[in-house]
Amino acid sequence: MLRTRRSLRHRATPALLLAPGLLLFLVVIVFSALRTFWISLHAWDGFGPMTWVGLSNYAELWGDPQFWVSLRNNVIWLAVFLLAPPMGLAIALLVNQKIRTMRLAKSLFFMPLVLSTVTVGVIFVWFYDPSYGLLALLFHAFGASPPAVLSSDTWVTFAVVFAALWPQVAFCMILFLAGLNTLDEEIIGAGRVDNARGWQMLRHIVLPQLRQVAFIALAISMIGALRSFDIIAVMTSGGPFGSSTNLAYQMYQESLFSYRFGYGAALATVLFAIMMVFIVWYLLRLLRDERSA
Amino acid sequence: MTRNTLNRRRFLAATAAAGTSCLAAPLYAQSRELVIISDRGNPDQRAALTDIANAFGREAGVRVSLNNMDHEAHKTAIRNYLVASPPDINFWFSGERMRGFVKRGLFSDITDLVEKNGWADVVPAMSATTVDGRIYGLPTAGLVWGLWYRKDVFDSNGWTPPRTAEDFLSFGQNAREAGMTPIAIGTKEMWPAAGWFDHMNLRINGLDHHRALMEGRIAYTDGSLTRVTDRWAEQVKAGMFLRNETSYGWEQAAAILAQKKAAMMDLAGFIIYGFPEADRAQLRLAPFPTYDTGIGRYEDFSVDSIHIPSGAKNPEVARDFLTYFYQPDRLWEYLKPDGNLPARTDIDVSSDPIMVESRKGLVGVDGTSQYFDRDTDPDVAQAGLKGFQEFMVRPERASDILAGIERARARAYGPL
Repeated sequence: MLRTRRSLRHRATPALLLAPGLLLFLVVIVFSALRTFWISLHAWDGFGPMTWVGLSNYAELWGDPQFWVSLRNNVIWLAVFLLAPPMGLAIALLVNQKIRTMRLAKSLFFMPLVLSTVTVGVIFVWFYDPSYGLLALLFHAFGASPPAVLSSDTWVTFAVVFAALWPQVAFCMILFLAGLNTLDEEIIGAGRVDNARGWQMLRHIVLPQLRQVAFIALAISMIGALRSFDIIAVMTSGGPFGSSTNLAYQMYQESLFSYRFGYGAALATVLFAIMMVFIVWYLLRLLRDERSA
Repeated sequence: MTRNTLNRRRFLAATAAAGTSCLAAPLYAQSRELVIISDRGNPDQRAALTDIANAFGREAGVRVSLNNMDHEAHKTAIRNYLVASPPDINFWFSGERMRGFVKRGLFSDITDLVEKNGWADVVPAMSATTVDGRIYGLPTAGLVWGLWYRKDVFDSNGWTPPRTAEDFLSFGQNAREAGMTPIAIGTKEMWPAAGWFDHMNLRINGLDHHRALMEGRIAYTDGSLTRVTDRWAEQVKAGMFLRNETSYGWEQAAAILAQKKAAMMDLAGFIIYGFPEADRAQLRLAPFPTYDTGIGRYEDFSVDSIHIPSGAKNPEVARDFLTYFYQPDRLWEYLKPDGNLPARTDIDVSSDPIMVESRKGLVGVDGTSQYFDRDTDPDVAQAGLKGFQEFMVRPERASDILAGIERARARAYGPL
């Protein structure tokens, strides 16, 4: 009797400890995701009655030119954000040198991470300003007329991603710096004994030990690229005429400005499906590493 | 439950009254409450509103809580709070924006209050808050839209405001020769481009056509709109507008006008926010040029208004507040910092040069609409705002753009 109770308690403890988190996860994430999918099958203005329309929101997405622009922009975000981990690594290697002023350099590189995205966006809007911005001054210095990058439907997305890349690189740098601090001194020592130096040391001794960190940096950059929203809102509001809108921003506009919550939910579902690919990949890697460890 | 809390409150009030007799009266009275939600961006106007609300609270013995929201955020929040937790008073726009809520039964009918006070006689704009003969809000101020310019700049160049389409293009030529941009416009927030469309359509196709278009009864692919886009494209190609206009908000565009780098700008009385205090006296308003002499002078005149949500918890206090607030001197206190024209015609605005200009701008007007995004369905408005912003940059895409807006129109109003 006593034993069964004890074993019950033994088994119940982890379940009880997991329960609050699990409950929150079910309500906030799983329920919301399912509900979003349910809404995407309806036409709904946000507070009137919901009308069942089946998959027609998705069919409309297919024929909506803005959807393809948003999708293209998400691909640009993903591609440019691929640069964040290698750039972060390069800077981490640079500031990891034992030189006196490096501490200052390190904190300068770290700075964008403390700034809120809104601040970063505002700073870059000033930077790009075609009449008074730093970029304009640079162009004037060379006698050229500055481009209005935020007004150009070709360049605007790149201009916004570039601004967002700044804190992202800093974030990757921090990850790699932490990774560099946990390097196994013995392996490095062994490498030194075998006369490994410079590039060889980096390629064969340091990088293999940073694989785990690199993987996390890459996965987080990808997911960050997909959920980017705030900096677009601050810098361009998705404009000019929707050229810098991505799926997340289009979802916000359709739902809250055009009052088309069903259509917005369909966009959210598509975005979720794309993100799922990266999340599943990330989780599978994580599980595999945990099992092999 | 209610009785319980009431008893407790009464008990507390009674104890307090016994303790401090001088505070007793307000404490009793303060069981009456009034909740106001406003959306004013101008800090001076907010301060004026706070003063009025506090004075009302003192005189009527009401505890007033005034919540001001960001102007843009309020446009989305209102849909939520009108249903979930309606205040007693809220600020909003009249026209289609109001009608949507009236149709859903979210605003109170205040026709009797208006009749009792005889307000309809002094408020011609009351039609903007009237749906099927019933009144659902009080117009506070109207925004008179037109082309603003600096008198000193026009005088020194010997210019007069352009009257016809031909004048307009040759005026643009003159302005450019003087090294100025003819028209300052910033379309970062998109609506200024739609305002320009309103002017063009009202001048070329007239008010009846414009109303039908806004109510979804004319397709955007209709031939009548090609006439508008053709003339508009002419202006774009003639270099009438500020370059890279999508990079600028309206404040920056107004600053360009203030710095004498541009000659004119399409806006309403709130242009004063973008102007340094010392330069405001130079501002003059000219009506948009005529495109077709056979068509009357129709203008955008957007009316802001104040409402009682139908779910208000203290509708009687709210009605008292409206009566208090709508007195000419108080309404003037509230409107003075804003630069927009009072809806009441019995308010003397002669002390304010900008309002005098606005009022002059209304003389000789044959009929009014509100503004593109206040007159039509929000979905269509959003598509239109984006489309006209694109048109000003890529006028050659006119037919694709109009087809895009038509898709939204067909979605909102059904096929024709």
